[in-house]
Amino acid sequence: MMKKIFSKTALAVLTVTMLGVGTLHADNHGKGAGDVKIDYSAMAPEELAEYLVFMSNSFKAGMEAQEGGPAGERLKQDELQKLCSALKDKPVDPATASKVGEMARATIKYPEGGIKLGDWKIGRELAWSGYGWRIGHKTDKHASRKNGPGGNCYNCHQLATDRTGGTIGPSLTGYGKTRGTSEAILKYAYEVIYNPHAYFACTKMPRMGANGLLTEEQISHIMAYLFDPESPVNK
Amino acid sequence: MFRKLIFALPLALAVGNASAAESYEGMAPEDILRALIEKTDSAYLSQSPQNLQMMPDNPAYWVAEEGEELFTTPRGPNNVSLEGCDFGKGPGVLEGAYVEMPRYFEDTGKVMDLENRLVYCMTKLQGFAKDDPAVKKRHGSGSDMMKLQTYIAMQSNGMNWNPPMNHPMEKAMRDAGEVLFYRRSGPMDFGCQACHSETGKRIRASVLPNVHEPEEWTKAISWPAERAGHQNVRSTQHRLRGCLWQMRHPGIKAGSDASIALISFWTDAARGQPAILPDMKR
Repeated sequence: MMKKIFSKTALAVLTVTMLGVGTLHADNHGKGAGDVKIDYSAMAPEELAEYLVFMSNSFKAGMEAQEGGPAGERLKQDELQKLCSALKDKPVDPATASKVGEMARATIKYPEGGIKLGDWKIGRELAWSGYGWRIGHKTDKHASRKNGPGGNCYNCHQLATDRTGGTIGPSLTGYGKTRGTSEAILKYAYEVIYNPHAYFACTKMPRMGANGLLTEEQISHIMAYLFDPESPVNK
Repeated sequence: MFRKLIFALPLALAVGNASAAESYEGMAPEDILRALIEKTDSAYLSQSPQNLQMMPDNPAYWVAEEGEELFTTPRGPNNVSLEGCDFGKGPGVLEGAYVEMPRYFEDTGKVMDLENRLVYCMTKLQGFAKDDPAVKKRHGSGSDMMKLQTYIAMQSNGMNWNPPMNHPMEKAMRDAGEVLFYRRSGPMDFGCQACHSETGKRIRASVLPNVHEPEEWTKAISWPAERAGHQNVRSTQHRLRGCLWQMRHPGIKAGSDASIALISFWTDAARGQPAILPDMKR
C-alpha cells in the first residue's frame, strides 16, 4: 500500500532514554521494555506521543487490517504524513508544498489503455458509501459490498443535489457540465483522485489511488459520476 | 442572524441574561447552550433545534437517577458505597469534580479521567474484580458505568472546564495529546485536525466543532450525552473510540494512556467555557 518509513532515529533516541531513566520515581507511569519504568513527565511531547502510539499498549494493534497485516502498521507515518503533520494549523509553506507535490506526482499510476469513464450509476453508490477500511469494535467486511468499499466522497463534498454532502472540500456539483470531458481535464481529475497532494500539498483529502483505497475500476465509475452528462451531478 | 432570533427569545423570556454575569451555574443545560448560541451564532451549536427542544426531557436524567442510587448504595465484595471515592476534590465530593478531570492522582501516580477513576474506586474500594460486568461493561444506558458517569458528570453542569495543569504529568499528557491531535496517519491520512480545526465545516449534514473555538468545543466534549440516534447515553471514551474508528485508525483501548492524553488535550481546549451536562447529540 503506502510507503511507511518508521523513524529509526526516533526509536534509537527512545531506547537510549528508556535505558537512561532506570531509577524508579514515585510518579512514574507506564512500563517499557524489560519492565523499566518510564517517566512520562521527563519526555518531550513528540517523544511521549510516539511512545504512547507504539509502546503503551493503547491500541488494538494486532487486529487484522483489510489491506492485510496488523492494524498497528497504520499508525506508522510515511514521509508525507510526517511533513504534513508538522504544519499543524499553518498553511503549507512553499518548500513543503514543492517536496510533497513532487513526491505525490511520482506515485501516480495511470490505467492501462488510458483513462476511461465507467458507469455513473455505480459511481453514485461509491461516492455515497462510507463503508470500508474501518477497524476496531466494528470491522468493515469489504466482501459484503458488491462494488467494494466506498469512496465516501459525500463525506466532504457536495456532488449531486439529491443528496447532502459535506463542506470540508469544495462543491463538485455540475463538475463535468462546467468542464467538459477533454483528455486534459480527465487526466487532471484522475490525478486529483489518485493522489490529491499532486496539486494540493498536504490536503485533507485521502490518497484514494496511491493508498489503495479505490481500485482503478472504482475510480472510473466515480469519474463517470463526475463527468457523464447523464449523471445527476451534471443535471 | 435569523438563527440568533429563534434562540434568543425563549432564553430572554425564561432566564436572565447570562452573558452579563458570565456565570452559567444553576442554568439548565439547554439554557447554557442557548446562551452560547446567543453569544456566538455558531453553526455547530445551533444545528439542531430538535435536540434543543428535547433537552428538558433528556433520557439521560433517568440514567443519572439510577446512577445516584448506585453511587450511594454499598456494593461489591467490600460492601461500601462510592461516597468514599476521591474524584480529585476529596472523598465523595462531586460538585465541580468532573470539570477538573482528567487530573493527576497521587494514590495511583497516574493522570486519570472519570472512567478510569471509577474503575479504580470500584475495584479498590468496593472490591469488584476487573472483569466483573459492573466494571467491565462501559457502554449503554443500562450499564452501571454510564449510570454512574452521567450522575457524577451532571454535578459539574454549568461549571467551567478547569482541568489542573500544575503537576508535570498533567502537562506531559496534555502536550502529548496535542501532538496526537495533529498526527496524521492511517490509509486516509487523517488526524483529528482534518475535521476539527475549522469553523462551520460539515461532514455530510453534520456541522463540526472547531477545537480552536472554546464555545463550540465545550459542547463537543460535554459527555456523557444522550445520542439520539443510538438511543443510549454515551461517554467520552465512547466518543473517542468512534472518532478513531471513522479515521480508519486501529481501535483505541478504553482508558489507555493514549486515550487519556487526547482527552487531557481536548478538555484543556475547552478551558473556561461551561460544561453542558448531560448533553444531547444526534
